[in-house]
Amino acid sequence: MGNWERLVWNQREVLLEGFLVTLHVCALAFAAAILGGLALCLVRMHVRPLRPLATLLVEFFRATPIFVQLMWVNYVWPELFGWPNSFFTAGWVALALQSSGYLAETFRAGIEAVPRGQREAGEAVGMGPALVMARIVLPQVALTTAPAIVNQFTVIVKSSTLVSVITVQDLMFQSQKLVNVWYEPIEILTATAAIYIAFVFAVSACGKRLSDALRRRFGIGSG
Amino acid sequence: MFSEALRESVDLSLFWDYREVMLSGLAFNFHVFAASATAAIALGLGAALLRVAQALPFRVLGTLHVETFRNAPDYIMLVWVHFVLPLLLGAALGMRIEFHPFASAVIALGLVYSGYYAETFRAGIQSIPRGHLEAGRACGMSERQILWRIVMPQVVRRMLPEGLNQLVSLFKATTIVSLITVPDLMYRVSMVTATEMKPLPLYTGAALLYFAVVFAAASLVRLASERWRRRILA
Repeated sequence: MGNWERLVWNQREVLLEGFLVTLHVCALAFAAAILGGLALCLVRMHVRPLRPLATLLVEFFRATPIFVQLMWVNYVWPELFGWPNSFFTAGWVALALQSSGYLAETFRAGIEAVPRGQREAGEAVGMGPALVMARIVLPQVALTTAPAIVNQFTVIVKSSTLVSVITVQDLMFQSQKLVNVWYEPIEILTATAAIYIAFVFAVSACGKRLSDALRRRFGIGSG
Repeated sequence: MFSEALRESVDLSLFWDYREVMLSGLAFNFHVFAASATAAIALGLGAALLRVAQALPFRVLGTLHVETFRNAPDYIMLVWVHFVLPLLLGAALGMRIEFHPFASAVIALGLVYSGYYAETFRAGIQSIPRGHLEAGRACGMSERQILWRIVMPQVVRRMLPEGLNQLVSLFKATTIVSLITVPDLMYRVSMVTATEMKPLPLYTGAALLYFAVVFAAASLVRLASERWRRRILA
Protein backbone atom coordinates (compact mmCIF):
# COMPACT_ATOMS: atom_id res chain seq x y z
CA MET A 1 0.00 0.00 0.00
CA GLY A 2 2.98 2.29 0.47
CA ASN A 3 3.29 2.62 -3.28
CA TRP A 4 -0.30 3.70 -3.64
CA GLU A 5 0.19 6.42 -1.09
CA ARG A 6 3.42 7.68 -2.63
CA LEU A 7 2.43 7.41 -6.29
CA VAL A 8 -1.27 8.18 -6.24
CA TRP A 9 -2.46 9.83 -3.01
CA ASN A 10 0.52 12.18 -2.73
CA GLN A 11 -0.02 13.19 -6.38
CA ARG A 12 -3.70 13.92 -5.88
CA GLU A 13 -3.33 17.62 -6.61
CA VAL A 14 -1.70 16.97 -9.98
CA LEU A 15 -4.34 14.37 -10.83
CA LEU A 16 -7.15 16.70 -9.73
CA GLU A 17 -5.71 19.48 -11.84
CA GLY A 18 -5.73 17.14 -14.80
CA PHE A 19 -9.28 16.04 -14.06
CA LEU A 20 -10.42 19.68 -14.03
CA VAL A 21 -8.85 20.20 -17.45
CA THR A 22 -10.69 17.07 -18.63
CA LEU A 23 -13.96 18.52 -17.32
CA HIS A 24 -13.22 21.88 -18.97
CA VAL A 25 -12.51 20.30 -22.37
CA CYS A 26 -15.57 18.05 -22.13
CA ALA A 27 -17.90 20.87 -21.06
CA LEU A 28 -16.83 23.14 -23.94
CA ALA A 29 -17.05 20.27 -26.43
CA PHE A 30 -20.47 19.25 -25.11
CA ALA A 31 -21.95 22.75 -25.30
CA ALA A 32 -20.53 23.31 -28.79
CA ALA A 33 -21.73 19.88 -29.93
CA ILE A 34 -25.31 20.58 -28.82
CA LEU A 35 -25.38 23.95 -30.58
CA GLY A 36 -23.59 22.59 -33.67
CA GLY A 37 -25.77 19.50 -33.81
CA LEU A 38 -28.95 21.55 -33.55
CA ALA A 39 -27.72 23.94 -36.26
CA LEU A 40 -26.75 21.09 -38.61
CA CYS A 41 -30.06 19.36 -38.03
CA LEU A 42 -32.20 22.48 -38.61
CA VAL A 43 -30.23 23.48 -41.71
CA ARG A 44 -30.60 19.96 -43.05
CA MET A 45 -34.35 19.91 -42.51
CA HIS A 46 -35.35 23.49 -43.35
CA VAL A 47 -32.72 25.27 -45.49
CA ARG A 48 -32.97 23.53 -48.82
CA PRO A 49 -29.99 25.09 -50.68
CA LEU A 50 -27.59 24.17 -47.86
CA ARG A 51 -28.96 20.68 -47.32
CA PRO A 52 -26.28 18.75 -49.29
CA LEU A 53 -23.52 20.58 -47.42
CA ALA A 54 -25.06 19.88 -44.00
CA THR A 55 -25.61 16.22 -44.92
CA LEU A 56 -22.01 15.90 -46.07
CA LEU A 57 -20.72 17.45 -42.84
CA VAL A 58 -22.89 15.19 -40.66
CA GLU A 59 -21.74 12.08 -42.52
CA PHE A 60 -18.10 13.17 -42.47
CA PHE A 61 -18.11 13.90 -38.73
CA ARG A 62 -19.85 10.64 -37.96
CA ALA A 63 -17.77 8.37 -40.16
CA THR A 64 -14.29 9.70 -39.38
CA PRO A 65 -12.56 8.21 -36.31
CA ILE A 66 -12.16 10.73 -33.49
CA PHE A 67 -8.39 10.35 -33.33
CA VAL A 68 -8.07 11.06 -37.05
CA GLN A 69 -10.32 14.09 -36.69
CA LEU A 70 -8.31 15.37 -33.75
CA MET A 71 -5.06 15.15 -35.70
CA TRP A 72 -6.70 16.68 -38.73
CA VAL A 73 -8.08 19.66 -36.80
CA ASN A 74 -4.81 20.05 -34.94
CA TYR A 75 -2.45 19.92 -37.93
CA VAL A 76 -4.53 20.94 -40.94
CA TRP A 77 -6.96 23.59 -39.68
CA PRO A 78 -4.34 26.09 -38.45
CA GLU A 79 -2.73 26.13 -41.91
CA LEU A 80 -6.04 26.12 -43.71
CA PHE A 81 -8.06 28.58 -41.61
CA GLY A 82 -5.41 30.07 -39.28
CA TRP A 83 -7.42 28.62 -36.38
CA PRO A 84 -7.46 26.99 -33.78
CA ASN A 85 -4.41 28.68 -32.34
CA SER A 86 -3.92 26.44 -29.30
CA PHE A 87 -3.85 22.70 -28.61
CA PHE A 88 -6.58 23.19 -26.04
CA THR A 89 -8.93 24.73 -28.61
CA ALA A 90 -8.07 22.11 -31.22
CA GLY A 91 -8.89 19.43 -28.63
CA TRP A 92 -12.37 20.54 -27.73
CA VAL A 93 -13.23 21.58 -31.29
CA ALA A 94 -12.40 18.10 -32.60
CA LEU A 95 -14.49 16.46 -29.86
CA ALA A 96 -17.35 18.86 -30.62
CA LEU A 97 -17.27 18.13 -34.36
CA GLN A 98 -17.61 14.40 -33.89
CA SER A 99 -20.45 14.69 -31.38
CA SER A 100 -22.31 17.37 -33.34
CA GLY A 101 -22.64 14.86 -36.19
CA TYR A 102 -24.19 12.27 -33.88
CA LEU A 103 -26.41 14.80 -32.09
CA ALA A 104 -27.68 16.16 -35.42
CA GLU A 105 -29.10 12.70 -36.12
CA THR A 106 -30.51 12.43 -32.59
CA PHE A 107 -32.27 15.80 -32.91
CA ARG A 108 -33.62 14.89 -36.33
CA ALA A 109 -35.19 11.71 -34.98
CA GLY A 110 -36.63 13.72 -32.07
CA ILE A 111 -38.13 16.38 -34.33
CA GLU A 112 -39.60 13.80 -36.70
CA ALA A 113 -41.23 12.06 -33.72
CA VAL A 114 -43.37 15.12 -32.89
CA PRO A 115 -46.81 14.48 -34.46
CA ARG A 116 -47.68 16.67 -37.46
CA GLY A 117 -51.02 17.59 -35.92
CA GLN A 118 -49.30 19.61 -33.20
CA ARG A 119 -47.55 21.82 -35.74
CA GLU A 120 -50.73 22.27 -37.68
CA ALA A 121 -52.53 23.20 -34.47
CA GLY A 122 -49.85 25.81 -33.79
CA GLU A 123 -50.16 27.21 -37.29
CA ALA A 124 -53.94 27.20 -36.98
CA VAL A 125 -53.77 29.53 -33.99
CA GLY A 126 -51.55 31.88 -35.99
CA MET A 127 -48.05 30.92 -34.84
CA GLY A 128 -45.24 31.31 -37.40
CA PRO A 129 -42.89 28.41 -38.24
CA ALA A 130 -40.14 29.77 -35.95
CA LEU A 131 -42.52 30.14 -33.03
CA VAL A 132 -43.94 26.63 -33.61
CA MET A 133 -40.38 25.29 -33.58
CA ALA A 134 -39.39 27.19 -30.43
CA ARG A 135 -42.55 26.75 -28.35
CA ILE A 136 -44.00 23.42 -29.49
CA VAL A 137 -41.41 21.22 -31.18
CA LEU A 138 -38.08 21.92 -29.44
CA PRO A 139 -39.31 21.66 -25.82
CA GLN A 140 -40.56 18.14 -26.57
CA VAL A 141 -37.41 17.27 -28.48
CA ALA A 142 -35.33 18.38 -25.47
CA LEU A 143 -37.24 15.91 -23.29
CA THR A 144 -37.25 12.95 -25.67
CA THR A 145 -33.59 13.29 -26.62
CA ALA A 146 -32.25 14.08 -23.12
CA PRO A 147 -31.11 10.49 -22.40
CA ALA A 148 -29.32 10.24 -25.76
CA ILE A 149 -27.66 13.62 -25.14
CA VAL A 150 -26.37 12.50 -21.73
CA ASN A 151 -25.10 9.34 -23.40
CA GLN A 152 -23.24 11.46 -25.94
CA PHE A 153 -21.52 13.21 -23.03
CA THR A 154 -20.05 9.88 -21.90
CA VAL A 155 -18.71 9.39 -25.42
CA ILE A 156 -17.07 12.83 -25.21
CA VAL A 157 -15.46 11.99 -21.86
CA LYS A 158 -14.07 8.73 -23.24
CA SER A 159 -12.74 10.39 -26.39
CA SER A 160 -11.30 13.29 -24.38
CA THR A 161 -8.46 11.02 -23.20
CA LEU A 162 -7.00 11.47 -26.70
CA VAL A 163 -6.44 15.22 -26.34
CA SER A 164 -3.43 14.32 -24.16
CA VAL A 165 -1.76 13.21 -27.40
CA ILE A 166 -1.67 16.84 -28.57
CA THR A 167 -0.30 17.86 -25.12
CA VAL A 168 -3.50 19.19 -23.58
CA GLN A 169 -2.78 18.66 -19.88
CA ASP A 170 -5.82 16.60 -18.95
CA LEU A 171 -5.98 13.70 -16.49
CA MET A 172 -4.52 11.26 -19.03
CA PHE A 173 -1.63 13.62 -19.74
CA GLN A 174 -0.79 14.20 -16.05
CA SER A 175 -0.99 10.50 -15.34
CA GLN A 176 1.40 9.62 -18.17
CA LYS A 177 3.71 12.39 -17.04
CA LEU A 178 3.83 10.86 -13.57
CA VAL A 179 4.60 7.48 -15.12
CA ASN A 180 7.51 9.04 -16.99
CA VAL A 181 8.85 10.58 -13.77
CA TRP A 182 8.61 7.51 -11.53
CA TYR A 183 8.77 4.63 -14.03
CA GLU A 184 6.18 2.82 -11.94
CA PRO A 185 3.06 2.60 -14.09
CA ILE A 186 1.00 0.04 -12.14
CA GLU A 187 -0.56 2.21 -9.46
CA ILE A 188 -0.88 5.46 -11.41
CA LEU A 189 -2.39 3.98 -14.55
CA THR A 190 -4.73 1.70 -12.59
CA ALA A 191 -5.93 4.64 -10.50
CA THR A 192 -6.40 6.77 -13.63
CA ALA A 193 -8.39 4.03 -15.33
CA ALA A 194 -10.52 3.66 -12.19
CA ILE A 195 -11.23 7.41 -12.08
CA TYR A 196 -12.34 7.45 -15.72
CA ILE A 197 -14.46 4.33 -15.33
CA ALA A 198 -16.11 5.66 -12.16
CA PHE A 199 -16.81 9.03 -13.76
CA VAL A 200 -18.31 7.56 -16.95
CA PHE A 201 -20.29 5.08 -14.85
CA ALA A 202 -21.70 7.91 -12.72
CA VAL A 203 -22.67 9.97 -15.77
CA SER A 204 -24.41 7.06 -17.47
CA ALA A 205 -26.18 6.12 -14.22
CA CYS A 206 -27.52 9.70 -14.08
CA GLY A 207 -28.60 9.36 -17.71
CA LYS A 208 -30.44 6.16 -16.92
CA ARG A 209 -32.23 7.70 -13.94
CA LEU A 210 -33.13 10.69 -16.06
CA SER A 211 -34.67 8.55 -18.77
CA ASP A 212 -36.59 6.50 -16.18
CA ALA A 213 -37.91 9.68 -14.56
CA LEU A 214 -38.93 11.13 -17.93
CA ARG A 215 -40.70 7.93 -18.87
CA ARG A 216 -42.64 7.91 -15.60
CA ARG A 217 -43.61 11.58 -15.75
CA PHE A 218 -44.24 12.10 -19.42
CA GLY A 219 -44.49 8.59 -20.80
CA ILE A 220 -41.58 9.19 -23.15
CA GLY A 221 -37.97 8.18 -23.56
CA SER A 222 -36.08 5.19 -24.87
CA GLY A 223 -37.07 1.60 -24.22
CA MET B 1 -1.94 32.33 -48.20
CA PHE B 2 -5.31 30.73 -47.64
CA SER B 3 -5.71 29.69 -51.26
CA GLU B 4 -2.24 28.19 -51.31
CA ALA B 5 -2.96 26.19 -48.17
CA LEU B 6 -6.27 25.08 -49.62
CA ARG B 7 -4.63 24.00 -52.88
CA GLU B 8 -2.00 22.14 -50.93
CA SER B 9 -4.55 20.28 -48.83
CA VAL B 10 -6.67 19.40 -51.82
CA ASP B 11 -3.60 18.34 -53.76
CA LEU B 12 -3.20 14.86 -52.39
CA SER B 13 -0.34 13.84 -54.70
CA LEU B 14 2.05 13.58 -51.75
CA PHE B 15 -0.33 11.12 -50.09
CA TRP B 16 -0.57 9.28 -53.41
CA ASP B 17 3.24 9.09 -53.65
CA TYR B 18 3.23 7.12 -50.42
CA ARG B 19 0.24 4.99 -51.36
CA GLU B 20 1.96 1.65 -50.76
CA VAL B 21 3.14 2.66 -47.30
CA MET B 22 -0.31 4.00 -46.47
CA LEU B 23 -2.19 0.97 -47.75
CA SER B 24 0.00 -1.45 -45.83
CA GLY B 25 -0.74 0.70 -42.80
CA LEU B 26 -4.46 0.40 -43.48
CA ALA B 27 -3.96 -3.37 -43.69
CA PHE B 28 -2.73 -3.24 -40.09
CA ASN B 29 -5.97 -1.53 -39.10
CA PHE B 30 -7.85 -4.43 -40.64
CA HIS B 31 -5.67 -7.02 -38.90
CA VAL B 32 -6.18 -5.40 -35.49
CA PHE B 33 -9.87 -5.06 -36.29
CA ALA B 34 -10.35 -8.72 -37.26
CA ALA B 35 -8.49 -10.08 -34.24
CA SER B 36 -10.10 -7.78 -31.68
CA ALA B 37 -13.58 -8.28 -33.16
CA THR B 38 -13.20 -12.04 -32.71
CA ALA B 39 -11.99 -11.56 -29.13
CA ALA B 40 -14.75 -9.05 -28.34
CA ILE B 41 -17.56 -11.26 -29.64
CA ALA B 42 -16.28 -14.40 -27.85
CA LEU B 43 -15.65 -12.57 -24.53
CA GLY B 44 -18.91 -10.65 -24.85
CA LEU B 45 -20.90 -13.87 -25.29
CA GLY B 46 -19.13 -15.34 -22.25
CA ALA B 47 -19.91 -12.29 -20.11
CA ALA B 48 -23.54 -12.25 -21.27
CA LEU B 49 -23.97 -15.92 -20.34
CA LEU B 50 -22.48 -15.15 -16.91
CA ARG B 51 -24.96 -12.31 -16.46
CA VAL B 52 -28.01 -14.44 -17.19
CA ALA B 53 -26.72 -17.41 -15.13
CA GLN B 54 -28.66 -18.74 -12.11
CA ALA B 55 -25.82 -18.53 -9.58
CA LEU B 56 -25.26 -15.11 -7.99
CA PRO B 57 -21.42 -15.14 -8.10
CA PHE B 58 -21.53 -15.63 -11.88
CA ARG B 59 -23.97 -12.77 -12.27
CA VAL B 60 -21.81 -10.46 -10.16
CA LEU B 61 -18.74 -11.38 -12.19
CA GLY B 62 -20.56 -10.78 -15.47
CA THR B 63 -21.90 -7.41 -14.32
CA LEU B 64 -18.47 -6.35 -13.11
CA HIS B 65 -16.97 -7.23 -16.49
CA VAL B 66 -19.60 -5.30 -18.41
CA GLU B 67 -19.61 -2.19 -16.22
CA THR B 68 -15.82 -1.99 -16.15
CA PHE B 69 -15.11 -2.34 -19.83
CA ARG B 70 -18.18 -0.58 -21.18
CA ASN B 71 -17.33 2.54 -19.18
CA ALA B 72 -13.59 2.52 -19.84
CA PRO B 73 -12.14 4.88 -22.46
CA ASP B 74 -10.36 2.92 -25.25
CA TYR B 75 -7.15 4.88 -24.88
CA ILE B 76 -6.64 4.35 -21.14
CA MET B 77 -7.38 0.64 -21.60
CA LEU B 78 -4.83 0.48 -24.40
CA VAL B 79 -2.16 2.10 -22.25
CA TRP B 80 -3.09 0.02 -19.21
CA VAL B 81 -2.96 -3.27 -21.09
CA HIS B 82 0.33 -2.36 -22.72
CA PHE B 83 2.20 -1.05 -19.67
CA VAL B 84 0.49 -2.49 -16.57
CA LEU B 85 -0.94 -5.90 -17.47
CA PRO B 86 2.46 -7.43 -18.43
CA LEU B 87 3.92 -6.29 -15.08
CA LEU B 88 1.00 -7.80 -13.13
CA LEU B 89 1.16 -11.06 -15.08
CA GLY B 90 4.95 -11.13 -14.71
CA ALA B 91 4.71 -10.67 -10.94
CA ALA B 92 2.09 -13.40 -10.71
CA LEU B 93 4.07 -15.87 -12.82
CA GLY B 94 7.48 -14.84 -11.52
CA MET B 95 9.00 -13.93 -14.89
CA ARG B 96 9.54 -10.99 -17.19
CA ILE B 97 6.70 -10.50 -19.61
CA GLU B 98 6.33 -7.94 -22.37
CA PHE B 99 3.45 -7.61 -24.80
CA HIS B 100 3.98 -7.02 -28.48
CA PRO B 101 2.12 -3.76 -29.33
CA PHE B 102 -0.15 -5.69 -31.69
CA ALA B 103 -1.12 -8.11 -28.89
CA SER B 104 -1.81 -5.23 -26.48
CA ALA B 105 -3.99 -3.52 -29.09
CA VAL B 106 -6.04 -6.67 -29.67
CA ILE B 107 -6.44 -7.39 -25.94
CA ALA B 108 -7.42 -3.81 -25.05
CA LEU B 109 -9.92 -3.29 -27.87
CA GLY B 110 -11.22 -6.83 -27.41
CA LEU B 111 -11.92 -6.18 -23.72
CA VAL B 112 -13.55 -2.78 -24.23
CA TYR B 113 -15.84 -3.97 -27.01
CA SER B 114 -16.66 -7.23 -25.18
CA GLY B 115 -18.44 -4.97 -22.67
CA TYR B 116 -20.65 -3.54 -25.43
CA TYR B 117 -21.21 -6.95 -27.03
CA ALA B 118 -22.16 -8.52 -23.69
CA GLU B 119 -25.03 -6.03 -23.35
CA THR B 120 -26.19 -6.68 -26.91
CA PHE B 121 -26.08 -10.46 -26.38
CA ARG B 122 -27.88 -10.17 -23.05
CA ALA B 123 -30.70 -8.10 -24.53
CA GLY B 124 -31.01 -10.72 -27.28
CA ILE B 125 -31.01 -13.65 -24.86
CA GLN B 126 -33.57 -12.05 -22.56
CA SER B 127 -35.88 -11.33 -25.48
CA ILE B 128 -36.36 -15.07 -26.07
CA PRO B 129 -39.74 -16.09 -24.59
CA ARG B 130 -39.50 -18.54 -21.67
CA GLY B 131 -41.85 -20.88 -23.48
CA HIS B 132 -39.11 -21.68 -26.03
CA LEU B 133 -36.82 -22.93 -23.25
CA GLU B 134 -39.61 -24.90 -21.63
CA ALA B 135 -40.54 -26.47 -24.96
CA GLY B 136 -36.91 -27.50 -25.44
CA ARG B 137 -36.79 -29.05 -21.97
CA ALA B 138 -40.09 -30.82 -22.56
CA CYS B 139 -38.57 -32.46 -25.66
CA GLY B 140 -35.69 -33.67 -23.51
CA MET B 141 -32.99 -31.33 -24.86
CA SER B 142 -30.03 -30.59 -22.61
CA GLU B 143 -29.32 -26.99 -21.49
CA ARG B 144 -26.43 -26.81 -23.93
CA GLN B 145 -28.56 -28.02 -26.83
CA ILE B 146 -31.22 -25.46 -25.92
CA LEU B 147 -28.60 -22.69 -25.91
CA TRP B 148 -27.07 -23.52 -29.28
CA ARG B 149 -30.12 -24.81 -31.16
CA ILE B 150 -32.93 -22.60 -29.85
CA VAL B 151 -31.55 -19.49 -28.16
CA MET B 152 -28.43 -18.52 -30.14
CA PRO B 153 -29.90 -18.68 -33.67
CA GLN B 154 -32.62 -16.24 -32.62
CA VAL B 155 -30.22 -14.05 -30.63
CA VAL B 156 -27.84 -13.69 -33.56
CA ARG B 157 -30.65 -12.65 -35.86
CA ARG B 158 -32.01 -10.11 -33.42
CA MET B 159 -28.67 -8.54 -32.50
CA LEU B 160 -27.32 -8.36 -36.03
CA PRO B 161 -28.04 -4.67 -36.75
CA GLU B 162 -26.58 -3.45 -33.47
CA GLY B 163 -23.72 -5.95 -33.57
CA LEU B 164 -22.70 -4.76 -37.03
CA ASN B 165 -22.82 -1.11 -35.92
CA GLN B 166 -20.48 -1.99 -33.08
CA LEU B 167 -18.10 -3.56 -35.58
CA VAL B 168 -17.98 -0.23 -37.41
CA SER B 169 -17.21 1.57 -34.12
CA LEU B 170 -14.52 -0.98 -33.38
CA PHE B 171 -12.89 -0.32 -36.74
CA LYS B 172 -12.87 3.40 -35.98
CA ALA B 173 -11.28 2.67 -32.61
CA THR B 174 -8.40 0.79 -34.27
CA THR B 175 -6.93 4.15 -35.34
CA ILE B 176 -5.62 4.77 -31.80
CA VAL B 177 -3.30 1.72 -31.83
CA SER B 178 -0.69 3.91 -33.53
CA LEU B 179 -0.20 5.47 -30.08
CA ILE B 180 1.48 2.29 -28.85
CA THR B 181 3.49 2.04 -32.13
CA VAL B 182 1.40 -0.50 -34.02
CA PRO B 183 2.33 0.59 -37.57
CA ASP B 184 -1.19 1.33 -38.81
CA LEU B 185 -2.22 4.08 -41.23
CA MET B 186 -2.11 6.87 -38.61
CA TYR B 187 1.35 5.73 -37.52
CA ARG B 188 2.60 5.81 -41.13
CA VAL B 189 1.14 9.28 -41.60
CA SER B 190 2.95 10.61 -38.54
CA MET B 191 6.22 9.01 -39.70
CA VAL B 192 5.95 10.40 -43.22
CA THR B 193 4.95 13.80 -41.81
CA ALA B 194 8.12 13.80 -39.72
CA THR B 195 10.27 13.47 -42.85
CA GLU B 196 8.21 15.45 -45.36
CA MET B 197 7.15 18.21 -42.93
CA LYS B 198 3.83 18.55 -44.77
CA PRO B 199 1.03 17.54 -42.44
CA LEU B 200 -1.67 19.18 -44.54
CA PRO B 201 -2.03 16.78 -47.48
CA LEU B 202 -1.02 13.73 -45.43
CA TYR B 203 -3.55 14.09 -42.62
CA THR B 204 -6.25 15.18 -45.05
CA GLY B 205 -5.53 12.11 -47.17
CA ALA B 206 -5.72 9.85 -44.13
CA ALA B 207 -8.99 11.44 -42.98
CA LEU B 208 -10.54 10.98 -46.43
CA LEU B 209 -9.34 7.38 -46.72
CA TYR B 210 -10.75 6.43 -43.31
CA PHE B 211 -13.94 8.30 -44.13
CA ALA B 212 -14.34 6.35 -47.37
CA VAL B 213 -13.83 2.99 -45.65
CA VAL B 214 -16.07 3.72 -42.65
CA PHE B 215 -18.78 5.40 -44.70
CA ALA B 216 -18.93 2.47 -47.12
CA ALA B 217 -19.06 -0.03 -44.26
CA ALA B 218 -21.71 1.95 -42.36
CA SER B 219 -23.87 2.25 -45.49
CA LEU B 220 -23.65 -1.49 -46.10
CA VAL B 221 -24.61 -2.13 -42.48
CA ARG B 222 -27.60 0.20 -42.79
CA LEU B 223 -28.73 -1.58 -45.93
CA ALA B 224 -28.28 -5.04 -44.45
CA SER B 225 -30.05 -4.09 -41.21
CA GLU B 226 -33.10 -2.82 -43.05
CA ARG B 227 -33.32 -6.06 -44.98
CA TRP B 228 -32.93 -8.13 -41.83
CA ARG B 229 -35.51 -6.13 -39.96
CA ARG B 230 -38.03 -6.59 -42.72
CA ARG B 231 -37.39 -10.31 -42.80
CA ILE B 232 -37.62 -10.78 -39.03
CA LEU B 233 -40.74 -8.69 -38.61
CA ALA B 234 -42.43 -10.23 -41.65
